[in-house]
Amino acid sequence: MSAVLALEQIGVVYGQGATAFTALQDISLEIEAGEMTLLLGPSGSGKTSLLQIMGCLLRPTRGRVHLFGNPLASGLAVEAMAALRLAHVGFVFQHYNLFPTLKAWENVAIALDIKAVPRSSQRQLALALLERLGLGDRAEHYPSELSGGQKQRVAIARALAGKPRILLADEPTAALDGKTGQSVAATLHGLARDEGVAVVVVSHDPRVEPFGDRVLHLEDGRLVGDRRPQRSSV
Amino acid sequence: MTEPYAARVSGTSLLAWRNLSHDRARFVVTLVGVLFAVLLMGVELGLLLGFARTTSGLVDHTAADLWITPAGTTNVDIAGRLDERRRFEALAVPGVASVDMLMMQFAFWRKPDGGTESVSMVGFNLASGQGRPWNLVEGRVEDLQQDDAVIIDQLYAGKLGVTALGQTVEINNHRARVVGFTQGIRTFTQSPYVFATHRNAQRFTFFRPDQTTYLLVRLQAGADAAGVRAALQARLGRVDVWFAADFARAAQRYWLITTGAGSALLLAALLGLVVGIVIVGQTLYATTVDRLPEYATLRAMGAPNRYLHRVILKQAAISAVFGFSGGMLLVALVVAASAGSTVAVAMPLGLVGVLALLTLCMCALGALVSIRRITRIDPTSVFQ
Repeated sequence: MSAVLALEQIGVVYGQGATAFTALQDISLEIEAGEMTLLLGPSGSGKTSLLQIMGCLLRPTRGRVHLFGNPLASGLAVEAMAALRLAHVGFVFQHYNLFPTLKAWENVAIALDIKAVPRSSQRQLALALLERLGLGDRAEHYPSELSGGQKQRVAIARALAGKPRILLADEPTAALDGKTGQSVAATLHGLARDEGVAVVVVSHDPRVEPFGDRVLHLEDGRLVGDRRPQRSSV
Repeated sequence: MTEPYAARVSGTSLLAWRNLSHDRARFVVTLVGVLFAVLLMGVELGLLLGFARTTSGLVDHTAADLWITPAGTTNVDIAGRLDERRRFEALAVPGVASVDMLMMQFAFWRKPDGGTESVSMVGFNLASGQGRPWNLVEGRVEDLQQDDAVIIDQLYAGKLGVTALGQTVEINNHRARVVGFTQGIRTFTQSPYVFATHRNAQRFTFFRPDQTTYLLVRLQAGADAAGVRAALQARLGRVDVWFAADFARAAQRYWLITTGAGSALLLAALLGLVVGIVIVGQTLYATTVDRLPEYATLRAMGAPNRYLHRVILKQAAISAVFGFSGGMLLVALVVAASAGSTVAVAMPLGLVGVLALLTLCMCALGALVSIRRITRIDPTSVFQ
């Protein structure tokens, strides 16, 4: 396995002076391709900030981020960070963040459009992705016509549309019932295992834990645990 | 199987259209705003152009290359007098092919029922036809050879108390008879043009037989127009010598700018533009604010700012296209209605193009506030 993402003594401080709040301090870790990494910790422990650093959404106050072995410049422009996200990162959100006015396949096609995939092939690629996630018969439905699990699968399809090397999921099962949540977690794990995507999942959900190849624990902005659970199968 | 339209348009176009069409009430408000802005701009600018054409109509409809006017003349409707000998002086200048007299003078028109109106008497040379009435719909220009014959426009027939050809009236207490009608020869001064032969017009307006108002010069083929004009100016002294196009523009400038009439119309058109910008700006901004989480999601997905800007600008463009179409339909109705009135709303293709451009600019300006808002959007807000 190889590190697609490496964090080196990362620190994040919000605000200045008396109101300054330290969200992350001295975080050093590597994220491997083909692994599903769980990021666990209580509320306010810095999980989301860490996810945002990994996803090139937030610049660290201290430390360095290496993407595929290349250090990212500390003063990287906003548009350059967006370009990095577009090229390498896919996001799955707790509340799906689908576009309510677009059908399922159109939601997926938007990600292709941003990547300037030719218009003529966008629909076919989007339909193929939905088919792969078991939503072939829901392609023409609007998000409001889909169940929570279906919406999250559309969101995963959208995240995969850009062929990302890193997939970051923020509480992807929090709004789903038990069985559906497990199914979504299994899907994410399958993506890591079968396609070599580096999947990082922030979760409070114990149902997700069995699917993690690696579990990181954060507390008060510090990395306090990093283990690889032994499991026979998931 | 036919691909759905969504597969044939870009993602930004699809998002723009869906954002608008899924909020129909707001979209309708936007369209109504654009529509009335287009209507206001179209009618005011059409009136301006209509007035401009009216003020220079007489000049535009002669075939003269040069106009010799009394010194200090600012427009074709108001001028002093020239002696006929000036005509002979002009004819002596090399390069001049012909010089015709054209007379213009206000006069009093007594209607058959006794009321009085002010008219602009136009006297022209029947033989050369320079300054003759155009768009004749009843009668013949040749009938003006009769001593008391005049031609008026149908648009002013009611105002002048004329209901049919052959009717007699009085001009400055001289008997006159209407022998023809034109259609659409308007005057900006609201004193209708009354066409007669130069000789008859002199009699109606107490001009001496050797007096006229303008001299219309035709140049010989291949003559140097600027050179002849300079020679005429030098030879005739205290007169103004104009190229016809310059004199037409001078008349337009005088009535529309010097008198302030055009400024009022331009101001009203500007008001329409501002109203349009404000309405489009407000409704687009409201739509944008409602969809901020979606824009933040696009940004988190790695969409560059220009992608988001395209969505907003396309929303503005869609509003412009629909609003413009509806607005122009109403403008066309106004133009059609104005055809039968003394006030013309002109709408040539060029002005339609200008209006389309103004509408696009108006909507794009309206979109600026929304663009500014989404440029500052924080993609990390998707995690809140």
